[in-house]
Amino acid sequence: MKVLPVYFSFLFICYSYTLQAQQANLIQGKVVEIQSEEPLPGANVYWEGKRQQGVVTDIDGNFTIKAPELPAKLVISFIGFEISIRSISPKDTEKILKFYLKPEAFSLEEVIISGRAADQNIKSLEMGKSVIPIETIRNIPALFGEVDLLRSLQLLPGVQTAGEGTTGLFVRGGSADQNLVQIDGAPVYNPSHFFGFFSVFNPDALEGLEFYKGNIPANLGGRISSVIDVSLKEGNYQKIKGEGGIGTISSRLTLDGPLLSDQSSFTVSARRTYADVFLRLSNDENLRNNSLYFYDLSGKFTFRFGNKDKLSVSTYFGSDFLGLSRQFGFGWDNWVNALNWTRTINEKTYFDLNAYYTRYRYAVNFDDPDIGFVWDNVLSESGVKGEWTYLPDNKTSMSWGFHSQLYQFSPIALSPSPRSNIEPISTNPRNGLQNNLFFSAVADINSRLRAEGGLRWGLYNQIGRGKVFIYEDDIPSPESNIIDSLSFNRFENIQFYQGLEPRISFRYLIREDFSFKAAYNRTFQYVQVASNSSAGLPIDRWVPAGIYIPPIRGDQYSVGLFKNLKDNTWELSLEGYYKDFRNLIDLRQGASVLFTDNVETELLTGDGYAYGLEFLLRKNVGKTTGWLSYTYSRVWWEIEGISGDNKFNPRFDRPHDVTLVLNHEFSKRWSANMTFVYTTGQAVTFPIGSYEMDNQRLPLYGEQRNGDRFPDYHRMDASVTWRNVDKGRKWRGSWNLSIYNLYGRKNPFSYQFTDIINDQINFDPGSGQEIISRRPGVAMTYLFTFLPALTYNFEF
Amino acid sequence: MKRYLYTVFGFFLLASCQEEVFLELNTVEPRPVIEAFWTDAGIYNFVRLSTSKDFYNTEPNEVIDDASVFITNENNGDIISFRFSQQAGRYLPLNNVAGKIGDTYRLHVEWKDNVYESSGVLLDAPVLDSIVYNFRDERIFRDPGYYLTLYGDILFEDNNFYRLRVVKNDTLLNNRNDYLLFDDSFGTSILNRGFELSGFPFKANDRVRLELFRLNRDTFDYINQVVGLLFNDGGLFSPPPQNPESNIKLKSGKNEPLGYFKVSPVRTVDIVVAPE
Repeated sequence: MKVLPVYFSFLFICYSYTLQAQQANLIQGKVVEIQSEEPLPGANVYWEGKRQQGVVTDIDGNFTIKAPELPAKLVISFIGFEISIRSISPKDTEKILKFYLKPEAFSLEEVIISGRAADQNIKSLEMGKSVIPIETIRNIPALFGEVDLLRSLQLLPGVQTAGEGTTGLFVRGGSADQNLVQIDGAPVYNPSHFFGFFSVFNPDALEGLEFYKGNIPANLGGRISSVIDVSLKEGNYQKIKGEGGIGTISSRLTLDGPLLSDQSSFTVSARRTYADVFLRLSNDENLRNNSLYFYDLSGKFTFRFGNKDKLSVSTYFGSDFLGLSRQFGFGWDNWVNALNWTRTINEKTYFDLNAYYTRYRYAVNFDDPDIGFVWDNVLSESGVKGEWTYLPDNKTSMSWGFHSQLYQFSPIALSPSPRSNIEPISTNPRNGLQNNLFFSAVADINSRLRAEGGLRWGLYNQIGRGKVFIYEDDIPSPESNIIDSLSFNRFENIQFYQGLEPRISFRYLIREDFSFKAAYNRTFQYVQVASNSSAGLPIDRWVPAGIYIPPIRGDQYSVGLFKNLKDNTWELSLEGYYKDFRNLIDLRQGASVLFTDNVETELLTGDGYAYGLEFLLRKNVGKTTGWLSYTYSRVWWEIEGISGDNKFNPRFDRPHDVTLVLNHEFSKRWSANMTFVYTTGQAVTFPIGSYEMDNQRLPLYGEQRNGDRFPDYHRMDASVTWRNVDKGRKWRGSWNLSIYNLYGRKNPFSYQFTDIINDQINFDPGSGQEIISRRPGVAMTYLFTFLPALTYNFEF
Repeated sequence: MKRYLYTVFGFFLLASCQEEVFLELNTVEPRPVIEAFWTDAGIYNFVRLSTSKDFYNTEPNEVIDDASVFITNENNGDIISFRFSQQAGRYLPLNNVAGKIGDTYRLHVEWKDNVYESSGVLLDAPVLDSIVYNFRDERIFRDPGYYLTLYGDILFEDNNFYRLRVVKNDTLLNNRNDYLLFDDSFGTSILNRGFELSGFPFKANDRVRLELFRLNRDTFDYINQVVGLLFNDGGLFSPPPQNPESNIKLKSGKNEPLGYFKVSPVRTVDIVVAPE
């Protein structure tokens, strides 16, 4: 057996922010395999709740660990083996202990990623933060059997969805473009596939996920509502392993293992859908020539240099393509690259460097000699972030650093085919340079009170190359005359904004298992999407802040009570928040933002506020795990020129939200999962009459936007998993049968107020069929009733 | 065409359905609706007044026939009176009067205690030279048939907002797909190079009339918003629906109007698709 590098211990030290008092007592022991009694090098040994301060066993399976106040529980974990937890008393310090680990029938990755104390929710300063093990996400019944990270987040309190099946997140009253989704520190601009129905994350490629919706630390920023911090899986250093799955709409494969030596490792992962494979089986030639697919490729390569430096390179490429008859193509892709270097400067000081480049682009190509065109756009962000962490003593930690970001939003270009009668279009580029400095300090003020103070200072410049239009009376509107335009060279300053972003939080320990927390956060967001539809589209137009578009400002005040029950088996929390939004944008009626160089004339600006109360009861250990949550939340926007200048709810305002997630392990072979969601229906606008205009019957709307509601939304999903535990340990397979919308609830996706012709809701006026009757009516579209999916997963 | 759409969304059609439902909707007192056309060709000029009704009401919209309607030429102060025609169900100008290119016109409607006004400029019209037709085979997004190409010249730097209406065998093509609106986003050489009406296949012997209007911006925006509303499916990818922004203002009274006042030149060309 190979020696597991001591790198694990290094890793734990790097992330150790919560050092606790230690005593000089040492515990010595040896970890062996239960049957062969062979030593197990590289096993993790740590005190319960203090995984960060753990050690790893040496080549002979031996370890020495400092003991806290005894008795305490010592945890031994090793990949592929069941966790061993033993209570250690003071007398155990006198002898060498022996620990026997039993191979797991079906090893779960959960053990490696849940490096989190059982009572961390009580003791830490975290508020509005969720750490979700990938294994939990995998167990949640999935649409089409596609395990989806973003859709799983929608099951958390305070997170709303735009509608059935979509992956857009609306966090505590914020819109979808106010979430910073990042892979290993690099942002992802369009984290969805297939028009938002699937997210870009292949679950096998992921190590873990941290989701911040409340108290966002000062080292993170740029979006005002949440941070979804995803890390790609780091390969193991022992042997090549693989896992994958064959699903209803896609298949995936991930390999990981040592690279070159035991000082480096790799993970590569791929996923592809195969809807287009079925199209090729069609008898219709046109259908055969169509394509419809998406795929993801990702890789992470990690190198250890000595025991002080670790370097990792992560890359992700994901692409969607829709092609019709080889003449029309619409594709979009994300390319995300990150380099992370972690250095231990000394026992108290650490340094992390993150450099990244992320690019999003789309292209529409219509190959026709007369009316054909190519329309494309690219946007990118490059950045570098350096962070120093200093732990002067075991009660205090400090960190500070910088983060520089370069936004490059290239021209939107449309090139017609040579015989076309339209002229080419190319907008001016829009660029921004943002430099951030941040500092934060965490300290135990006394045994009960812990506080964190942080400050982020954002310095933003809209920069050239670019062109700025000067409007009559300085008011950009469609009717305004452009009186001048100014051109700027590369990196020339056009407009400057700066803002201080304080981040403050407190935790007061009422009892060991009961705490009160409060936090205040201010964030600025300098790039946003100009759109007025609720779901994102691949062609959404991102606009950076500039002369006419100020950055959005978000202030969030939150308080919470956190209580653990039955020795941390149950977590109970109640969190409340109030959020204030400034400089939100919406589009004016009939706005056209896709090709215009004067996007500012199409925008309206306003403010908003949101508040809510989130209740969560969660069980993390035992045969039955899961959570029950209830959220009451409201969000209001007030934008001049919309809703008669009255405040209104955006579509995703859904006051009541109940979620139940249950997982039960019946045996080593069988497990089952169930989720139930109930939310108030989406806020929408229904007509209040109709009138005739231009030979059309038009619906008449009232002034108030979104004053009506869809019916309440509810749905239950279920899945069962059967694992083959007898087939030896080289190949382990499992079958998962999931059913989306178990009881076939017809949740509306949309209501169309239209004329029902000949009593047919889908009457085609061009069909030549005689029109016998015409009456007003409402056609409801609903998606996904009782949708089963079967997936085979494997590991080797 | 439909086949392609099925492909695009076929994936979801496997699992999605549509059905007719009844929703309880709020109602409102009827609101006046004004539709006024003022062009340089008398035959096109009219003012139609009606009221809105409840959404599910299947009765015809009530026509207002007791209003006072006139248009003022703001350049010379001339007043053009309109009279209600029972036969046409709308107000028509006396003596079939037409507007003059370059002049500004103000619509004035009085009904009950409400006074409504709107104004617009009768802009100069582009030149229409000729129209030709060619048979095109089936291609993606295009059914087989005869397609018209319109030639002409747009000479203007500003106010390039156009609507082209297609009348086939004396019937105005009026489905939501039949709205042909264009501005100068893609340049003004569209007619010089030949503007093929790619959405309109014709058969042999079809009689076709094209009517080109050059609109004021507010009218163009209004019609664009009408089309947006006709395509709004109330789903996630549609903007929140709103009434199109009327260019008619309530001067006194309390009953806000719906509708629009269109001041425009009109140029027409006729052709019979008569292949040899």
